[in-house]
Amino acid sequence: MATLRIGTAVLEGVGIARGYLKVGDMPDGRPMQIPVLLGRGAAPGPTLWLHGCVHGNEACGAFVLHRLFRGLETAALSGTLIALPILNITAFRAKQRMSPFEGFAGGDLNRCFPGKPDGTLTEQMAHAIYTELKAHADYFVDLHTAMTADVRWALFANVPGEVGRKAESMARAFGFTSTLPAPMDILAGSAMMSAARDGIPSLIVEAGGKGPAFTAALVADVVERLQNVMRRLGLLPGLVTEHGPLTYFSNFAWVRAVQGGLFQRAVRCGEHLKVGSVLGHYYDLWGRPTGEALSPHAGIVLAIHPGPVMASGETLVHIGLDPREV
Amino acid sequence: MITATTVIRVGTAEAGGVGVTRGELRVGDTPDGDVVSIPVAIVRGAGEGPVLWLHGCVHGDEYCGAFIIHELLRTVNPARLAGVVVALPMLNITASQRGQRMSPFATFGHGDLNRCFPGTADGAFTDQMAHAIYGGLRRWADYFIDFHTALTPDTRWALFANAPGEVGRKAEGMARAFGLKSTLPAPMEILGGSAMMAAARDGVPSLIVEMGGIGPAFERETVLEGAERLRNVMRHLGMLAEKPTEHGPLTYFSNFAWVNATRGGLFEPAVQCGQQLDKGTLLGRYTSVHGDILEEVASPHAGIVLAIHPGPAMATGDVLVHIGLDPRET
Repeated sequence: MATLRIGTAVLEGVGIARGYLKVGDMPDGRPMQIPVLLGRGAAPGPTLWLHGCVHGNEACGAFVLHRLFRGLETAALSGTLIALPILNITAFRAKQRMSPFEGFAGGDLNRCFPGKPDGTLTEQMAHAIYTELKAHADYFVDLHTAMTADVRWALFANVPGEVGRKAESMARAFGFTSTLPAPMDILAGSAMMSAARDGIPSLIVEAGGKGPAFTAALVADVVERLQNVMRRLGLLPGLVTEHGPLTYFSNFAWVRAVQGGLFQRAVRCGEHLKVGSVLGHYYDLWGRPTGEALSPHAGIVLAIHPGPVMASGETLVHIGLDPREV
Repeated sequence: MITATTVIRVGTAEAGGVGVTRGELRVGDTPDGDVVSIPVAIVRGAGEGPVLWLHGCVHGDEYCGAFIIHELLRTVNPARLAGVVVALPMLNITASQRGQRMSPFATFGHGDLNRCFPGTADGAFTDQMAHAIYGGLRRWADYFIDFHTALTPDTRWALFANAPGEVGRKAEGMARAFGLKSTLPAPMEILGGSAMMAAARDGVPSLIVEMGGIGPAFERETVLEGAERLRNVMRHLGMLAEKPTEHGPLTYFSNFAWVNATRGGLFEPAVQCGQQLDKGTLLGRYTSVHGDILEEVASPHAGIVLAIHPGPAMATGDVLVHIGLDPRET
C-alpha cells in the first residue's frame, strides 16, 4: 500500500492519521497550519476529499467532519477519506469569514482557487491546499453554511459529460431537496469549480448558519447524508438511501441590500417567493418602520439575512431561480 | 416628580407636552470628527406619574433589548400613559454598528460601558459616553430598566439592585412584576460601574433584564414577551391602568458565579439556560481541530444555568457558564 501523506499526516497502511498542512506563515514567523484527517480502508476504492470552514465562521462543516471521523470504522471502508475540517484557520480563530492577516483584497478563500504560490496570503493558502486536492481527490465535497440555522441546500458543478453526471449522483445521494446544478460560469475561483475543471466531481453543501447558529441534530443529519454519498461511491457498504425527486434551479440570485438599518426577516429558508413577496422589515433607531424589503425574483429562499442590523451591500437574500421538481 | 410645566430634555429630544418626541444625544466624537450620537425617544403621558428610564445595547451586540424597547415604543399610547418613558434603545451605537460588545473607539481599557458608570467627563471614550448618558438618567429617572442579553436565545433571567430600604424594595417590586423565574437580588458590592448599581446608589430603583443571546440569537417571541413583561412593570408602577399580572413565586439566588474557560478549543455545550446543576454536572465538551475530545468540563458549582457558551469555538478566558447560586423559591 502506497504511503499517503498530506502535510504531517502520514498513513502507511490501513487506519486513521492526523496531522497538519502548512498553508503560510503568521506575522510572528510561526507556521500557519491547518488540521488534516486521513482514513484508509483495507479494500481498494476511490479517494473522497472533504473540507470545511473555507470561510472561517462556517463552523458547522468542521463539526460534521469531526463527527464523520469519530464514527469511521476503517475496516468497513473501501478507499480513502481525506478531511480538512478547518481550512481558513486564522479566520476561524477570529470568528470571521476571511483571514485577519489578509490585508489586501482577494480575502475570500473560495474565490482564490486554484491559488498562486506567490500571491496574497489567501492565494498562497489556496495553492497549498489545492495542490494536494488535485493530486489525491477522486471526488470532492465542500461544506459551507449560509447565515441562519435553517439553511439546507446543495449545489454541484454541472460540468458536461461524466464529471457532471457523477457530481449529480453525489448530490442525489446527499439528497437536500433544494439543489442547484451549478452552471460552469458561476463561482469562479471556488474549490468546487476548480476541481470540476480538473475532472473531479464536486459538490458544495450549505447546511446551518454562521458561528453557533447550527444544532447537533443538523450535524448528525449531514453526517448521515455524507455516509450515503460514500455508499453511492462504493466507499461504504450498504444500501444507498434514495431521497426521491429534488427541486432543481436554473441558477441563483444573490440580492444585496440597498437599504441599511435594523432588520427583521419575514421568510424562512426553503420558502417559496413571488416577485414582490415581503422578505423583511427595516426599522430606524427609534423603532419606526422605514420600509419593507421585497423580493425582486420568484423562487425558493436559499439564505436570508437574520438581522438584527444590516449595512447596505450585505446579502439580503439568496434565491434559487426557476424551481422544478426532477 | 415632574409637573405639567416641566420640559424634559435629553439631547435634542425635548418633551414639553403629551406625545412622543424623538431626538439624539451626543456621547462623543469619531476619529474623523463626526458626532457619535445615540437615539432617544421620550413618551410623555396624559396622566401624572413617574419617569421610567430604559437602556438597550449597553453592550453593542445585545440587540434583543433594542427590539424590546422598540416594540414598547410602537405600542404605548401617550393618552393612556401616566408618567413618562425615556428610552435609549441603542446606547453603545458604534459597537452595535460593528456587531461587537465594545466600541471600536475604546482603545485603552475601560471598554465595557456597563463598568464605566457614572462615567467621567474627561475619561476614556467609554467613560465619556457613560458620563453623557448618566447625567440625564440621574436628572430624570424615577425607575430604571437596563436590557441585556447573554449568549444563547434561551437566556431568561433578571437581577435587581438590592439596595437597603425603599430603593431595594421598589426594585424588587419591578423584578416581581417583570416576573422572570430566575432572579438575583444583586448584592450591592457586585457589578461596580454598571448603570444599575450607579443608579441604585443615587436612589433610583433599578433592574437588569437578560433575555436572548448575542447578535441575531433571539426570537421574535422573546421580543414580544419582553415588551409585555415591561408593560406589566409599568402597570405595577401605575403608569398603565390595567391590573398587573401576578407571576407567582420566583427563584432567588444568593449571588452568581462567572466561570471562565481555563482551556480553549472547539466547544459543544451540554446544558441549557434554566437547567439545574449539581457540582460536577457535565457542562460541555472541548474538542481539538481534529475532532478529538480534549476534555469534558464539569460544573464547579451547584445552581441554575443563567448563561452558557454556545460554542462552536472558544479561547481561554471566555465565559464558559454563568451560574445562579443557592436557588430558593420565594
